[in-house]
Order: sequence, then C-alpha cells, then structure tokens
Amino acid sequence: MNIILVCSAGMSTSMLVTKMKKAAEDRGVPADIEAVSESALKRKLDNLDVVLIGPQVRYLEKKIKSQLEPKGIKVAVIDQMAYGMIQGEKVLDQALGLYKGK
Amino acid sequence: MNHPLMQRFIEVAGRIGAQRHLVAIRDGFVAIMPLVIIGSLGILINNFPPFGSFDLPGILNGIFGEGNWQKVGGSIWNGTFAVLGLLIAFSIAYNLAKSYEIDGLSSGLITAAAYIMLVPETPDWGLSFAWLGAQGLFVAIILALVLTELFRYLLQSRLAIKMPEGVPDGVSRSFTALIPASIILILVGLFQALMSHFAEISIFEWIFNIIQEPLQGLGNTLPAAMVVSFLNHLLWFFGLHGTNIIGSVIEPVYLPLIEKNLSLYQSGVSAFDVPNIVTKPFLDSFVFMGGSGTTIALLIAIFFVIRQEKNHPYREVAKLSTPAGLFNINEPVIFGLPIVLNPIMMLPFILIPVILTVTSYIALATGIVPKTVAILPWTTPPILSGYLVTGGSWRGIALQIFNLALAVILYIPFVVAGVRALKQRMETR
Repeated sequence: MNIILVCSAGMSTSMLVTKMKKAAEDRGVPADIEAVSESALKRKLDNLDVVLIGPQVRYLEKKIKSQLEPKGIKVAVIDQMAYGMIQGEKVLDQALGLYKGK
Repeated sequence: MNHPLMQRFIEVAGRIGAQRHLVAIRDGFVAIMPLVIIGSLGILINNFPPFGSFDLPGILNGIFGEGNWQKVGGSIWNGTFAVLGLLIAFSIAYNLAKSYEIDGLSSGLITAAAYIMLVPETPDWGLSFAWLGAQGLFVAIILALVLTELFRYLLQSRLAIKMPEGVPDGVSRSFTALIPASIILILVGLFQALMSHFAEISIFEWIFNIIQEPLQGLGNTLPAAMVVSFLNHLLWFFGLHGTNIIGSVIEPVYLPLIEKNLSLYQSGVSAFDVPNIVTKPFLDSFVFMGGSGTTIALLIAIFFVIRQEKNHPYREVAKLSTPAGLFNINEPVIFGLPIVLNPIMMLPFILIPVILTVTSYIALATGIVPKTVAILPWTTPPILSGYLVTGGSWRGIALQIFNLALAVILYIPFVVAGVRALKQRMETR
C-alpha cells in the first residue's frame, strides 16, 4: 500500500515517516510511505491508498478530501498527540485502519 | 475549549491559508528562496569582518586579485536580488496557473514579458535595474495575478486554437497559448501607451508610491512587528501553521526591507547604519528561536524545572523535541506537549515572542546591536544565526542569549503550573 503524509515543507513530517517505515518493517507490512508538500501531492496520485494530513495544515482537509475521496483514496488528519510525539506505530495504525475501511 | 467562535476562527484562518491567490503568492516567494539565500550569502562573504588575523575577503582577494573576488558575489546579486521583481512575476504566475491546472510555463513567460514591457527604460535603452528588483515587487504580484486570470479566461474562450489530435504536445501547447498571449501582450502595450500619454509617471512608480512604500514604512515599525508576532502565535496556538498562513501577506512587505539593508551593506555601509530594523531574518533569528514560540527556551525551562523525574511526560517530550528544536523545527513540542489549545501554555506561547520582539527592536533601534544584513535558511540554529545575520557580530549572539534567558525565566512559572495541573489530573483519575 502507498501512504503519503502532507505537511507544509515536508520538514517535521519526514521524521515521522522514518519512524513509520521502521514500524512497518518490524511488522512486515509492505508499505510505501512518503512525506510531500501540498503542491507536490497532485503528482503522486497514482496507486495512492492513504493520505494523512499533518495537524498544522488541517485546514487543507476539506479540499484534499473533496479531490481524492472520489478516487477512492482515504484521507484523514494525523492524530495530534501521535504526531507530536513522533509515534510511528500509532500513525501507521491509523493509516492501516483507514486502508482496511476502504 | 470548543467554543463556536473558536471553530469559526479556525475555519476562517484555514480558508485564508488555502486561498488560491494567496497560496500562489506564498509559493511564488518560497520558490525563489534558494536564489535569495545564495544572493545574500554572496554579499555576506564579500563583506565578512576579519576574524582575528583571518580575513576572508582579504585572503580571497589575494588569490584572485583585488576586487575580482567581489565580482563573484556582485554578479550573483545581479542575477538574484537585482531582478527580484521579474523572478517573482514569473514564479507567482506559474504557481497560480498550475493551481488551475493550466499551462504554467506559458503563463509565467507571458507575465515575465509583460513585466519587461512595463519596466521604465533608461535613456541609453537599457532596463532600469531599480524597477526590475525589489521596488517592482508589487507590480510583479499584481501582474502575475491579473494576467494569469486573463490567460485562463482566454484559454477557456473560443479564441484558443485547438490543434487536431496527433500533434506533439509541446507544439500544440505553444499554439494554444498563441492567441491568448497575443491579446494579453497587446493589452499590456496599449496600457503602457495610455500610461505614458496621460500620466507623467510609470505604473511602477505609481504602484510603488501609493502601495508598496507606505506598506513597507508601516511594516518597519514596532507595532507591526508585534502584530506579526502575535498573529503567528495565535494561529499556531490553534494548531495552524501560522507562518504559512500569514506568509503571503508578510513576504511582499518584508523582503524589500531586507533587500534594502543588503544592497546598502554590499556598497560598504556598516550593519549598524543600514536603515531597516524589522525584517524576516530579524524575527527568525531573534524571536523565533527554536521555532515559533521561542520553544527552545521552553525546552530549557522544562529540563530546568523537572530535574528529578527522568520519565516525566514533559521531560519525555522535551527530550524528543530537542534535536529538531536546535534547527528551529518544533512541531513535536507544539503538538506533543501539547501547546495547541492548552490553556496554561496559551499566555507564554503567545506573549513571550511579542515581548522578545520588543526587546530586540529596542536593541537594534538604539544601535546596541547591528541590524540584519543576511537572509539565512530558517533552519539555521540560534547563536550561529545571530552571528551571521548581523554580518558577523558577537552582539547578535549576545542579544540572542539575552532573549533566550528572558524567555526561559518567563516560561518557568508556566511549566511549574503545567506540571502541577498534570499531577492533579493523574491523581483524580
């Protein structure tokens, strides 16, 4: 599955991505995880399954949802605490939950 | 804290943050940042003060011949800061067109051409650098927005040439843009002719005089700096990316202010004597240390208050946040502590930066500390940033240390209160 995290400059979110990748590897979950800025998101839509939005740009939620949900891509804002504490496991769970609900 | 008024605030701020034209302006400025930073670096190297017996410009001049080395920085300047308006015109038009999913390259090129059409000529048929650069920034923004909208309208109208299928994409694109581009440039030409017939001054001087200069004058005052600081942190307190949301408004005002400082510094004026106090690097280096909210001071305060309990949740967050915090990235502490919507942290998080804005303004205005003469990547760690941003002055570091100490002292009572509140909550549970 392909997961993309959206934040402002892809700066702080990249730390989270590293942790999520490690969590996925430990569990043997085949997942492609990447952090991009909002403007770069459009170029990444192929085979995308889940988009997670950083809490600091949560105002993008409506816009991204309206664009991607018709394409069957799940969209959600990352749990704020998990984001802050860089809990890769938790955020991965969130992504997997969304993916299963698909 | 789930008041309807607050929800409304978040919604409005969000709408501003996602507004198409404002996003295009912001991304336009973000796109030219690499050029701006290297332009500023060129100036800094050219004018760096001798470090004891280590005189960088002196050594380099010894190698390349007197004055030759300076040409490197000088020509970088010409290609970056000196044509800021032109670069921005292209960059904003490109981004706006992209957001409509129309041909960004064509839109950028048309706007750049129109910009050059309007730039006043020098008597010997040259382009006036004065208006290609930061002074033309507002014309650039207006042109980019208006012409891209016009371009979009014309593309959708029947005037656009539709090529038959099978024609290569590049060819078809340039033909599609042909008629809209012609109409736009003819309109701009007519406008230019009318301006020179009916008005004594160019559109550049006009916009500069009535919009840009007053706004810059306003921007360079203490109250304006306090408002910028306050708004940024109010937004962050609600968990929204403050700098991102207000960026489209503050960049056009503050970039020319630092440009003025840089160009004077380049011509040999000392960092003490350059005119503008409030600039983006001023806020980045002296106020937003460790990120918005001067959170590096909060981290220090936490380590100071909680010395015994190694596993205290606050301490855990602080430990986790420190490495990124040194580079002014502070989402972990903002969302993890959390600061967002935390009533105890509201007051210090919003007010400490405003207070530091005042102390820094006073330090620069009274001439105790030199003004800002460099644009650094915002991830430059404090102390280093204070040194570089003032053109290599220890006084810049001193101001940062003073501000940090003040912020730590102001944060401590709130950390103590937070720890107490957390304990109470644990016990009642």
